[in-house]
Amino acid sequence: MARPAPAPLYTLRGAGSPLNALHFSCCEGDPPLLFSGSGQGSVHVWNLTTRRAERVLEGHSGASVIWLNTLHSKDTLISQGRDMRVCLWDLAEGRSDVTDTLWTGSVGFCRCSLLETGPGRWLLAHPGEAMEEVKIIDLPSKSPVCSLIPQAKLGMVMCIKLWQPDSSPGPLLLAGYEDGSLVLWDVSQRSVLSSAAAHPEPVMCLDFDPARQRGISGSSEKSLASWMLDGQHRLQLQQPVALVNPGISQLCIRGDRKIVASAGWDHRVRVFGWKKLRSLAVLQHHTDMVISLAFSDQQDPRNRLLAAGSKDQRISLWSIYNQGSDSDTGFSLRHAHSPLKHERADSRRAAQVRDYWPHIKAKHCKDKHSWVDLTEESST
Amino acid sequence: MMQSLTPDVEVRLSVGQCVRTLTTSKEKEEVTKTLHTLTSYLDDGPQSTITSAQRAEFSRAHYTRTLQFLISNINADWLHLLTVAQCTELWDGLFLRGPPDQTLLVLMDGISSMSSPSAGLDRLVSILERFLQSGRLTVLLWSRCQGNGPSDSPQLRETLLGRLVALPDLTANQLHHHNKTLFFPQQYYPLLARDMLTVLERTCQALRDGKDCSLTFVAQTLGKACVQGHSGLVFGVLAPRLSSCTRSDMVWQRVCWKLLENVPERWLESVLTGLVQAVNGPDALSRIMGNLVLKNKKAQFVITHKLLLLQYKYETRVLSIILGYLAKDRERRPLLIQVLRSLCQAWANPSAVRHTPLEQQLYVSRALLLCVGLLSDAELQALRSELLQCMLGGMQSHLDSSVVRVRRMGMVVGECLSSRMDVNGAKLKFEYEQDEETKELLSLMTPLSDDETELLDDRLDLPQEVKGQTVPSQAVPSQAASVAQKSGADPDSELDSDDELTPYDMSADQEMSQAAPPRYLRDCLEAFLSSEDPVRVDLSLRAIEGLVRKNTSTAREVSVELSKVLLHMEDRYNTVGFLSLRQAAMVALTVTDSVPVTEYLTTEFYSMNYSLRQRLDILEVLTMSAQELSQPITDKGGPSKAIQQVTTDTPLYPGDDPIHWRQVVERRIQSKTKRLSKGVTRPPAKPTPNRYAPVAGHFFFPLLRNYDRPQVTFDLLGGDHLVLGRLIHTLGLLMHLAVNAPVATQMGRALLDFVWAVRYHVDQTVRRGVLFAVCSVFLSMPSQSLLVELSDQLFETRAWLADVAEGDPDADCRNLAMQSLVLLEKSLKTELNPAALGLQS
Repeated sequence: MARPAPAPLYTLRGAGSPLNALHFSCCEGDPPLLFSGSGQGSVHVWNLTTRRAERVLEGHSGASVIWLNTLHSKDTLISQGRDMRVCLWDLAEGRSDVTDTLWTGSVGFCRCSLLETGPGRWLLAHPGEAMEEVKIIDLPSKSPVCSLIPQAKLGMVMCIKLWQPDSSPGPLLLAGYEDGSLVLWDVSQRSVLSSAAAHPEPVMCLDFDPARQRGISGSSEKSLASWMLDGQHRLQLQQPVALVNPGISQLCIRGDRKIVASAGWDHRVRVFGWKKLRSLAVLQHHTDMVISLAFSDQQDPRNRLLAAGSKDQRISLWSIYNQGSDSDTGFSLRHAHSPLKHERADSRRAAQVRDYWPHIKAKHCKDKHSWVDLTEESST
Repeated sequence: MMQSLTPDVEVRLSVGQCVRTLTTSKEKEEVTKTLHTLTSYLDDGPQSTITSAQRAEFSRAHYTRTLQFLISNINADWLHLLTVAQCTELWDGLFLRGPPDQTLLVLMDGISSMSSPSAGLDRLVSILERFLQSGRLTVLLWSRCQGNGPSDSPQLRETLLGRLVALPDLTANQLHHHNKTLFFPQQYYPLLARDMLTVLERTCQALRDGKDCSLTFVAQTLGKACVQGHSGLVFGVLAPRLSSCTRSDMVWQRVCWKLLENVPERWLESVLTGLVQAVNGPDALSRIMGNLVLKNKKAQFVITHKLLLLQYKYETRVLSIILGYLAKDRERRPLLIQVLRSLCQAWANPSAVRHTPLEQQLYVSRALLLCVGLLSDAELQALRSELLQCMLGGMQSHLDSSVVRVRRMGMVVGECLSSRMDVNGAKLKFEYEQDEETKELLSLMTPLSDDETELLDDRLDLPQEVKGQTVPSQAVPSQAASVAQKSGADPDSELDSDDELTPYDMSADQEMSQAAPPRYLRDCLEAFLSSEDPVRVDLSLRAIEGLVRKNTSTAREVSVELSKVLLHMEDRYNTVGFLSLRQAAMVALTVTDSVPVTEYLTTEFYSMNYSLRQRLDILEVLTMSAQELSQPITDKGGPSKAIQQVTTDTPLYPGDDPIHWRQVVERRIQSKTKRLSKGVTRPPAKPTPNRYAPVAGHFFFPLLRNYDRPQVTFDLLGGDHLVLGRLIHTLGLLMHLAVNAPVATQMGRALLDFVWAVRYHVDQTVRRGVLFAVCSVFLSMPSQSLLVELSDQLFETRAWLADVAEGDPDADCRNLAMQSLVLLEKSLKTELNPAALGLQS
């Protein structure tokens, strides 16, 4: 008997319009924050301890905010709006000023992608003025690095992902286009490394796991495409994953590369195991399509949250597959060494989890309301 | 003259002298000498002066009396004069060296006549123990095998046989807790069997040497031991050895055949059943039994009839051994054909299908399939018409049955028979669920080939010590290989899997529909009546239960019409979960507006032109509604429980503690309080009115109205057993739910009247229903009114229930009848006891 479907930890409401972008910022010591960008151009800053919006930032003159990120701390926010601008915010010490803006000229829905190249230096990939163009600029100097325009007619650029691989000197960029193809760019060479027709429909979203050289992309169809890069940087499509209902607006691989979540047009968030893309859970809460997703980046993996923003103007927060993740890798290594000890290792793992469990529970309680947990412990 | 009397008289005088000496003497030397004299009559030492004639005379006439004398003087003073060694040598020696049959009789008599516990008894028991351990039983049996043994009276032989076989019982009766382990059946009968084996071996040797032996006594011993229920222990030792000895040795085979032929007829059956269970293959059985089935009528009856058709407790292995044995020999082959015929008859007999227990039918089916599997193609060709007839008739009677397992059995056997007969290449093929039972039946069609069974034989026949050496050496490498294979395959899969992440329940993940669900009951009704749009119908069907429960007043207005539509609705669009959705909607309607809807449904139950499915649906809906009505009202899931929890859990103000202070205080008090009583404290149940009690009659009585009016399409008392069974079961449930309702008495009376007519129905589902209904009447009716109602038929009812509890072929029926009897007794007791007390006082 499978466990019953999970319920959200809590929901945040009051944004007043669809939530197109989400971003967590969890530093040690400070209360964790969640930034959300709404369809009406405002950025809400939610305090996850009080579960209230601390501030509302207005800077995109009513045009919807489609992407949010922070630069090196939660005090510098970068937001992309459909007013064709990217804004840099200074949020330190209660300020909420736009310190800098960048005109992109893009009228599409493509979200930017940010890559930290050194301390205090970033590369920002953003859609350009021409529909199929991706521009890369250096931050904070705002000097353009390059502009990537495919030779073939691929249509509008839909989604991009910029990363720095270990193997090559320059960063790589993956872009999904309107005709459903994925293109891998070498940014330093300004050249196409490979491309693949992943979808018959426009690519709506993609995410890539540099460690495993595997990625996943979604479209408006009833399946997810997964693909991987081989040693020669060639894109190779793998077995697609079938969905119950069509349409995916965002895909997110969790930092520990164990699970991947998809924001569905069918109001549901789906969770898959990242290794084999086995379907693990369907999170049902929203009453309209889910548009944005974000995993929190807490130090302690047990506090990690998944946030989902929906067109129904709510953000739901979920705590899912958080337990025992730190011990698992160690155990699988042990498996590899001594295949005959499977059973023993398994029972040991079970015992460890069992030993661990009350500890986890107590800790959870302590975070929220420490004195109640004392009474609980004395009663058990 | 003088000379001819000499040994006789001499021995008598001498023994008499000895006895007198022993009675009177107090001299140790004298006693020892006398005992030596007596012992010298038993075996010839080198310097013995006793002639063989004297020795024979002593054994014949004086040995028993001497032993009896010794036992009666077991506490005499002279016995204490001897040392322990002398005692063992002389006194015990007298018992252990003489003719063993006499010794055994005297010892057993002595043991059973002595008072327990006493030193004398202990002494006798230890002598008996040594008697058994030193193989005297072998001597006893062997002496009986040799033709030259004393011709004794039948009575004596009978007594000896009795003592020999019942030794564990006799000792246990006398010794109670001080019994020796050697006398336990687990030890004694294997010992006896080993002694028999030794004797049989000697017989073989003797036959090779050209001497004659009689196996009558051994055979009788074997028969008697088996008939007393020890065949398992005896053949556990005998069968493996016999099977391996007869493999190559013709003399051994002849000895075995002779042994079985000599078993008296009245004991033959238990010997044969023990044997077929203990041997490990048809070949072994064939070697041991030979053609006994052809020579002995009784054996034939047991093997070909009793074990196959009358009894059904044996494993499939036994069946295959018996049938394989019949098939092994050309002369026995006609018997196999005859067996096949009778099996066919038994299988196809419609009365047997109805009246015999399911286990027996399964047994016969197994035997039939095994039998068909053993036949050659030529034989099958000859029997084809008969088999075909059996198959068709049997299939029909099996498929008519209302029991799923019987039907499935019929299908499997039919498939197997048809595939074996190969009627113009056409084969029967049924759809049924595969389970253990069908798989087993199907597997019976492919009998183990000769090599395999022989191999199996060999392995089992190997003597213990050889087995210990060879078998592991073969088995170990293969095991190791399989382990290696496993370990080679596993780690990869283990590493790659997402096993550590257990998936959640994803059943709610359905496809989203484009259209919005209907919001009004009338919209649903309209959709059902006129819509051709599958999506709309589907949505309406999903929404209707909730709508009915939400808008009770509207539901009341359209309840009957909606029920009618739902009852006639067909699954036109292959909706997922159609039946349960429709049922839930109808239940909701019945619960909301009980009287009109039940009236409608109960009338429709008996009207024309409904399918059985619809009638069964009506019954199911009525049951479920009654059940819901009789339960106290609970909050039936709102939108989604999880969400509700979330909303209640979220604090209203930042910083507000999510747990109410009152709960916290409560919890602290709980943790400080010590409770002496165990168990969970629960808030007392809130009394709520039973919604079912006032309307129970509306559910119940209309269903009883028209059962005896057959219609063109529906004949309740005729062919539609299934509906009748369900109807009675439903009535029983309605009765059960009406417990404590005022109307229960009338309901019970009506129900008892109704079921009385069908209590001996041929169909077991109906009988089961009847018994269930009776049970529920006994449970729900107040015991006082039960007595009043039953007063006339009380004894008949009890007799009927007792009859069913004892003799019904269906196990469920028997249990239910038992249950009813217990309930009846209980209510009688509670009703009669106070009255009886009142009378006494």
